[in-house]
Amino acid sequence: MRKHSAILFGVAASVALFAAANAAQAQDKVIRIGGLFAMSGPGSYFGVQDKQGIELAIEQLNKTGVNGYRFEVQYEDSACSPLPATQAAKRLLEQYKPDVVLGEECSDATLAIMPLMEQAKVPLLNAGSSSIKVTDPGNPWTFRIMPNEVMQGVDIATNAYKRLNARTAVLLYENTNAGIGNAKVFGDTFKSLGGQILADIGFGRDVNDFTAIATRIAGLGKVDVIPTYTLEGQGLRITQALAQAGVTKGGGGQSIQLGTIWLPFGFEQKAGKAALGYVRIVQFDPTDKRDVVQNFIRSFKAKYNQEPTHINAHAFDQILVVADVIRRGGKDSQSIRDIMATTKDFSGVTGSVEFDKTNQNTKMDTIHYMETLPDLSWKALGWN
Amino acid sequence: MPTDRVRISRRGWFLVVAVIIALLPFVIQDSYWRTNLIVCAINIMLAIGLDLLVMKLGVPFWMAFVFGMVLSGAAGMALSIFAVRLRGHYLAIASLGFAVIVHQVLLNWISLTQGPLGIYAIKPPPDIALPGLPVISFGNTANMFYLVASFAFLFYLLLDQLVRSPIGETLKAIREDEISASAFGINCTAWKVFAFGIGSAVAGAAGAFYASFVGTLVPDAFIITESFTILAMVIVGGMGTLIGPVWGAILLTILPELLRGFGDLRLILYGAALTLVVLFMPGGIAQAAQMFRARLGRLATATDAGMRQ
Amino acid sequence: MLTVVLQQGINGIVFGSLYVLVALGLTLIYGVLVQINFAHADVVTIGAFAAYFFTFAFGGNYLISIGIALMAGAALGWLVNAAIFAPLRERGNELLPLIATIGVSILLQNAMLLWFGPIPYAFDSPYSNKVIRLWGGTFITLQNLIIVVVSALTIALLYAFMKFTFMGKALRAVSQDRETAGLMGVNPNQLIMLTFVIASALAGMGGAMLGPILVLTPFAGTTVIVKAFAIVIIGGFGNVEGTIIAGLVVGLIESYTTQFVNPGLTDIVVFTLLLLMLALRPTGLIAEKREENV
Repeated sequence: MRKHSAILFGVAASVALFAAANAAQAQDKVIRIGGLFAMSGPGSYFGVQDKQGIELAIEQLNKTGVNGYRFEVQYEDSACSPLPATQAAKRLLEQYKPDVVLGEECSDATLAIMPLMEQAKVPLLNAGSSSIKVTDPGNPWTFRIMPNEVMQGVDIATNAYKRLNARTAVLLYENTNAGIGNAKVFGDTFKSLGGQILADIGFGRDVNDFTAIATRIAGLGKVDVIPTYTLEGQGLRITQALAQAGVTKGGGGQSIQLGTIWLPFGFEQKAGKAALGYVRIVQFDPTDKRDVVQNFIRSFKAKYNQEPTHINAHAFDQILVVADVIRRGGKDSQSIRDIMATTKDFSGVTGSVEFDKTNQNTKMDTIHYMETLPDLSWKALGWN
Repeated sequence: MPTDRVRISRRGWFLVVAVIIALLPFVIQDSYWRTNLIVCAINIMLAIGLDLLVMKLGVPFWMAFVFGMVLSGAAGMALSIFAVRLRGHYLAIASLGFAVIVHQVLLNWISLTQGPLGIYAIKPPPDIALPGLPVISFGNTANMFYLVASFAFLFYLLLDQLVRSPIGETLKAIREDEISASAFGINCTAWKVFAFGIGSAVAGAAGAFYASFVGTLVPDAFIITESFTILAMVIVGGMGTLIGPVWGAILLTILPELLRGFGDLRLILYGAALTLVVLFMPGGIAQAAQMFRARLGRLATATDAGMRQ
Repeated sequence: MLTVVLQQGINGIVFGSLYVLVALGLTLIYGVLVQINFAHADVVTIGAFAAYFFTFAFGGNYLISIGIALMAGAALGWLVNAAIFAPLRERGNELLPLIATIGVSILLQNAMLLWFGPIPYAFDSPYSNKVIRLWGGTFITLQNLIIVVVSALTIALLYAFMKFTFMGKALRAVSQDRETAGLMGVNPNQLIMLTFVIASALAGMGGAMLGPILVLTPFAGTTVIVKAFAIVIIGGFGNVEGTIIAGLVVGLIESYTTQFVNPGLTDIVVFTLLLLMLALRPTGLIAEKREENV
């Protein structure tokens, strides 16, 4: 990786000098990237963080260029919902004519965009939608670099049973494609291992009062683990309510909350001592010593003066995957799709990437388990 | 009722709108804008259907929206039996309540609707193969636009005829004064149920187009804010005139798209524009246009714009 | 089991009293104006943010921040009335202010989105984690106790104001009979302004106390306002006592539905109750003056 960078730097530095002298000619060699993310509405915290990661990656790559190409990105607001996503995708495809598109985070929106991308023959690279339907049965134009709900759910349920010796669980999830799907996979796996699901509690995104839910869980007796599938806002309130009701370790109880990559970094700081003992999957491990990770953290802090989140990281990786494809000869939609499908041994900030027949990343090393310590810092559990 | 002068110019408008609709896809080659035109046409239908309910009977939006979208005509009639007993804001909130319940039922009735999992990859209407002509496919946005726009236009014509017919007069009488209407032997309840059915059926048609055009159906697609937007189209366009909702639908569909250039300020400006239109054109675009024409033609008849009061 | 039932009762009353604060504003405005202020939800949100910034950015005391939110709400209420309701009052169409305030709501939400960003704020009151143990294994956090006490005090003050002061009596008079009240020398403009300021102050205050409970984003208020609409109807539009009872009932319904059925079904239960109320006594709930006005 590093050797490559050095060579690339040399080559690209001269390219950059040349480009500066002859801007018009360099203009022709541009990879046009479309970004479909929620910029408005309740899901827009994804869009803000995706944009940060993408901008950082593009800024770095454009210093040198990749294979003589510069990257350019155009965002459209897909608002985490099917109709705006459809309109945003059509607008992007018609007016910007991207070579490759990144997005969406919300499964509902991604599923709506996919047929349009297939029709236009533009590859879609997804990093945040966990619904199995994104890659099952598979769409030749849609790629996903994150483990899907089945991969995550089986893994975390197995770890809960075997490593945490959990025998009873309560499922807590929002009523969305991703929430229901994740909870179901966890429940099925946990039961097949011999565990028991004491309650299965789904709720809408508009629920505010989690005290009642926490009280209900407190009345169930001994609950070992509580896998929780929500976005950050509701997740915070659930964690606090569970602690107040004395259910979880953070409130002096026994239960351990389990989470997936839905929650961004900084969650523990916001939730405070209630988050104690929370075990969750994060999509990148800031304590990972690999150069690509440490460089990312350093440059992210330098540019934005804040700690990167996994959303920043997987957006950054999306650009790195595209850059990797361009380095291997991708130059238009068709060639980017074909070369992307052969991606192998790619190593990014969140982990490595290798696609199977359905264009799902088969690598599990993007799953990192973390446990929240009393000082709200993390301990990497090294379960994978 | 409108004066003859206005009625003639209305017919002129039909022609103009029809021609514009027919020509637009030629002018606009960009399928993104064609997409917007289709959404526009869908909204026109929704707004017209709603206008019938809101204006002809004083029935507000949530109910009309929900009926049309979810249960369409028949359900509209069934629920109206209960709803005719309510008026004003009570009816509005009752409709809101009904909207919430339907939304929740759709969300929880997973065997029927897939619930929050949604239904994806809904096909566009089947291709039409006429002998001697190339196959018309509705996967093509231009063809889809023609289909939806012609239905919108058809509904417009039909409802326009209905409103002018004796039935329209009856409905108007009920709206103006229910007690007097009953005194004249009009069965108010039956007519209200009828109007609910018609309005909801039109909205139901729009819902069908929505599904096949967007290709995705999730219960959250029809959240409460959507019904506000539709109502806003009726108000901004001008209540009580049938052409008003058409203008309102066009304006409020195109406006947020035109404002895209403003980036983060887009929806702030949209909200401000909506407020200002209501503040300074309370009769809506239709009335403003009519007043303008009246001033030009020295016709001092701004009163027949059909303002509720 | 008894513990759980009692505990859910406490939970329901806490949330119910917040609903009451928000719904009372809608009821007051409806009583005097026969209008719905859709931007009421955003007053709640702005109250929550005002309290948040006072507490965290400026290091203020949480209890004082409730007062700050109250003032922020009052100011916003004044502005909304002056800019929207006053100019539209003589137009006669009850839907115009509703649409105009929808525009205001879109504007405010997106302005807040621009200023505050979309990422949920962690608004924690210093009292959230202080748990007070009560009888039979139940508990209440100090924050929730503050919510109940402050709401009860506010409602009592409002009651006293409406019973014993001239303006308060005038306000009730107008709710009951607008024409006659006008004849008795009450200045309607002044009175409407007062109503808006009080209603929005209540909403702002509700926001400050909801802030530590709900997911604080620029859209926070809208999740509460739908329930508030239901409460206003169940309690009877313009009826203060009815609104208080309905608010508490809805709070209790929510917590018991969560306990014994499913949190996903709370809205169905609440809104079915609403439709039932309307079906059982529709004419009784409709003020007679509506007939003249439509």
